[in-house]
Amino acid sequence: MNRTKSKAFFTSNTMILVYVILAFSVVVALRQPAFLSPATPINLCRAGLFTFCFALCEMLVMITGGIDVSFPAIGCVSMYVPMVLYDRGILPDNGLYFVLVALLCGLIFGLLNGVLVSYLRIPSLIATLATSSIASGFLAFAFGVKDLTAMPTAFTKIYEMNLVTYTDPASGLSYPLTVLIFVPVVLAVVMALILRYTMGGRGLYAMGGNLSAARIVGFPVRRLQFTTYIVSGLITSLTAVMYVILMHNASTTALMGNEMLVIAACVVGGCSLSGGKGTIGGVLLGTLLITLVQNHLNMLGIDTRWQTLAVGIVLLFGVLMTSLQAGRGKGRV
Amino acid sequence: MKNPLARNKQVGTLIALMALVCVLMLIFCPGSYFTAKNAKSMLFQFPEYGILAFGMMLCMIAGGIDLSLVGIMNLSGLTAALILLALIPEGTEASAEFTAVALIVSSVAALLVGALCGLFNGFLIGYFGIPAMLVTLCSLQLFTGLVYGITGGPAVTGMCDAFKEIANGTIAGTFVPYVLPIFVIVLLVVAFILHKTKLGREIYYLGTNRKASVFSGINTLKTSMLTYMTSGILGGVSGILITSHLNAAKSSNGTSYTLLTILIVVLGGVHPDGGKGDVVGVTLSVLLMQMISNAFTLLHISQDVKNFANGALLILVLVCVMLIRKVEEKKKAQQ
Amino acid sequence: MGEVFVELKGIKKAYEGVYALKGIDLALRKGEIHCLAGGNGCGKSTLIKTISGVHEPTAGEIYIDGQQMNHMKPLDAIEKGIQVIYQDFAVFPNLTVAENIALNTEIKDRTKVVSYKRMRELAGKAMAQIGADLNPDARLEDLSVAGKQMVALCRAIINNPKLLILDEPTTALTAKEVQKLWGVLRNLREQNIAILLVDHKFDEIRPLVDRLTILRNGEFVSSGLISEYGHVRFQKDMTGHDFSTEKYRPEPSDEPILSVEHISSKGNYEDISFALSKGDVLGITGLLGSGRNEIAEALFGLCPAESGKIVLHGKEVKLKSIKDAVKHEIGFVPEDRLTEGLFTALPITDNTVASSLKKYVRAFGLKSFEMGENTKTWMKRLGVVAVSKDVPVSSLSGGNAQKVVLGKWLNTNPKLLVLVGPSVGMDVGAKAEIHAILRDLAQTGVGVVMVTDDLSELVENCNRILIVKDHKIIKSSDNSLSKKEIEALLMGSDQKEEEA
Repeated sequence: MNRTKSKAFFTSNTMILVYVILAFSVVVALRQPAFLSPATPINLCRAGLFTFCFALCEMLVMITGGIDVSFPAIGCVSMYVPMVLYDRGILPDNGLYFVLVALLCGLIFGLLNGVLVSYLRIPSLIATLATSSIASGFLAFAFGVKDLTAMPTAFTKIYEMNLVTYTDPASGLSYPLTVLIFVPVVLAVVMALILRYTMGGRGLYAMGGNLSAARIVGFPVRRLQFTTYIVSGLITSLTAVMYVILMHNASTTALMGNEMLVIAACVVGGCSLSGGKGTIGGVLLGTLLITLVQNHLNMLGIDTRWQTLAVGIVLLFGVLMTSLQAGRGKGRV
Repeated sequence: MKNPLARNKQVGTLIALMALVCVLMLIFCPGSYFTAKNAKSMLFQFPEYGILAFGMMLCMIAGGIDLSLVGIMNLSGLTAALILLALIPEGTEASAEFTAVALIVSSVAALLVGALCGLFNGFLIGYFGIPAMLVTLCSLQLFTGLVYGITGGPAVTGMCDAFKEIANGTIAGTFVPYVLPIFVIVLLVVAFILHKTKLGREIYYLGTNRKASVFSGINTLKTSMLTYMTSGILGGVSGILITSHLNAAKSSNGTSYTLLTILIVVLGGVHPDGGKGDVVGVTLSVLLMQMISNAFTLLHISQDVKNFANGALLILVLVCVMLIRKVEEKKKAQQ
Repeated sequence: MGEVFVELKGIKKAYEGVYALKGIDLALRKGEIHCLAGGNGCGKSTLIKTISGVHEPTAGEIYIDGQQMNHMKPLDAIEKGIQVIYQDFAVFPNLTVAENIALNTEIKDRTKVVSYKRMRELAGKAMAQIGADLNPDARLEDLSVAGKQMVALCRAIINNPKLLILDEPTTALTAKEVQKLWGVLRNLREQNIAILLVDHKFDEIRPLVDRLTILRNGEFVSSGLISEYGHVRFQKDMTGHDFSTEKYRPEPSDEPILSVEHISSKGNYEDISFALSKGDVLGITGLLGSGRNEIAEALFGLCPAESGKIVLHGKEVKLKSIKDAVKHEIGFVPEDRLTEGLFTALPITDNTVASSLKKYVRAFGLKSFEMGENTKTWMKRLGVVAVSKDVPVSSLSGGNAQKVVLGKWLNTNPKLLVLVGPSVGMDVGAKAEIHAILRDLAQTGVGVVMVTDDLSELVENCNRILIVKDHKIIKSSDNSLSKKEIEALLMGSDQKEEEA
């Protein structure tokens, strides 16, 4: 019995991810010893920050059995609207108001998703596609497509706040790790606790496992689904604000096109498209793998123009592996 | 073999909506909407995404979905462009016969590429049983990545005039654009496949119950691959059309078509779970979308708002369908 | 026998003008196991839903603990102590046993913070009360059907029910598991709980229940103590007809159809050999997991033989996949007819032609008219009762649905038909019809192989029997065995294991 248990552990989804991450790192390190400097984890954190936050939102939705493709659009609206308001002088130079307006946007569109999915019972893919186009359409219609860079001074201050800075002795380049890194850390911890130790959290897993049974057992399914999309919207807008702070600008298209990466990070990390499965740790590893690959293709000598394709190939393998893994041990058909 | 009542309801709703659009346009700009010029412009536009919608329809009836269609479209369009440019380099002239041959060769190549992409999708979905959503999201990335890698970023342009004629020209002497008969042919072929062939029946079976299909001896792998191959070919046709239309092949062509085709297809009566839907509903839906799009243009509403409106329209229609169903259930219960 | 807990008087229920229940009386007593039996369409499900508050009766009265209930909703029924265990259990495959058992209670207690310790304790208490012993941390999707059922029972028990309703609980259980369940129910009876059991297998319920009520076509037929019923009366009340239970004894024939020689598949079956001639109906039985299903599946390419030979009509055939099986004109009627055998949303016609589309291919289209005609022929020959060939199969009863599956394969003109659990979940009347069809089929020269754990079905219909245990054939007979003997052979090794 013990041998089967440890065998199962070592071939589990999580461990396979770890192996792949290690393997990839080894290959890169061999080609580019510079990979092994402390700059790498700092870069990874910076690059993966947004993906991870979005992945947390996506994970929540996927656990309930749905899928969300509206987060890039919601993010864009959440970052752009307060920027425009600030640019036109409607918002004072106060970071807090900015954040509140952004959260409001996230709330509204999260609400829209919630209504569509839990009250109108529209399949989540279609509902979030609709929300996505409503959000981006609204944005372009109401505000045009300028890139904006003026933001509250508070933000500039936060931008300069760094947790730790590593300066590479050889090149003299410095790699700052922003203090905002705490946000995903706190989010992850809080979410992990909620998912594991509250009835609401268990309710999400129950809904993903058997929706009708969840109703029969007494879970407030509608309310839970609704809340999921609202929370997802709020986290998305928070992430958008972080983007503005760190990237120093806002545009209407900055975050678009990321759906696949984030969904892949979740799937590779153990979330099932049909719901009921997913852990924070898994999603973290999934994000790590994807960020790792995305940012080190240069080190592997792959030309920029081929990087989209390369990432796609890695994603394909990830998805294949996870699906084969999940299919193992189940019936034949 | 289908529930005639349900089908009629969908068709009825669509026709009612089309009538509504006409009425509204009569009120707001009768002068420009009901002109030959506007009609002609509509005829040019809808085949491009309408053909793509048929591809999406086939996959959804089979119980899946093809989110990579736009990627296939661009990859095929790129193939056609590159081959054409190889045969007739930019700025050179060629005889009519040679041009014709070049067009045919490049088009066939584009369709082949589309077919291969489709086979790729169909194999992963049918053999490994990976959800179609995931596979095609992934392959969208792959195909788009290929286009981006090959072009290096900027669009490929400079195709010969004859190529541009395909999507932008009309049949000699008439107002009928070339794309219209292409659309009609595609429509007839798809309808034929769905209703008159074994493959068509198997697509419906597969979308209704995959397990039962396997147990009934249906070769679900073959069905899956053929379905996605067909939608891939349709993506190839659209690719030729859009590349000809814009005279440019690039990775970002037609990105709004993904949502649009899903909207069209769902509006047209195809159920996301599979097993239901057919060409009549989808065609009417395509025409309706085109009518709305033109109405927006003439009312000077920007393209971006169209995006917004598409999303809103989808929700509106789904809500209506749901309300109608609820009313029906109430009626039944009261009897 | 205890006091009456739930009493139904003159319950009628109509849907769209059609009466599903035409005036039913029922009295359920505490500390008593009451069985509700009847064929498909007799109204059992509607009655259960009425008792549990899902449906409101069109006429009649419901009394719970002496109090008349009006406009009862499911929550009211639950509050009064009524718990229903449906056939699909309504459990969460991705959660653990403890969570599945305890979640409902936690929700009722409005707990916000989850304590895994408390859930395990709750689960442990429930399991002790029932006598089940499952690993509280096991994931439900890893359990067998019997395990899932135990979990559903524990969940129901935790709510201290006064009436427990079980809807066809034995459909997916092995004989041993049924006995275990019966033990649990006896236990609960001791605790003065009223139990309503929906089941129509007379031999199965006889040793357990105290009282029996039989319905037919929404009407009350009879009710009484179990001792007042015997096989004959049971069948008569259930179907309204007398049925002979004579065994199937075809004329011996020397036209060989199928010869299976020493086939093996690692982990599934070992050294299996048997033969079939014209007119034979071969029955395979064994405990779940003995390999009996796999042997049948070998004939359809689902569990291909790794060694050995299969000879069909004199030619050796390789059955490595379903494609091979269909190519060699073998048909397969699966156990789970609704998910695996039928397209329930599609009309009867579509279902009937699903495996024989090749027949209807024409140069420019499909022969739709012939499809309809062939369907009508099969419907008539098999006695499918339906409004028309265009209604969806979901509207048919279990027996009729199975006939459609048979029609699907018969439309392919098969040489061999393999069936797993051919009459599971059907009432006595439908069973008899299916058996008659299969016997006739065998007489026409189609090989018929069936896997069943219904020993009556086995003994009455199969003139050749294979008993499988631990992946091997332990006895092969030309039906000179009685049910008791077969039972003994099946249970035999088990006793040895217990002694060891």
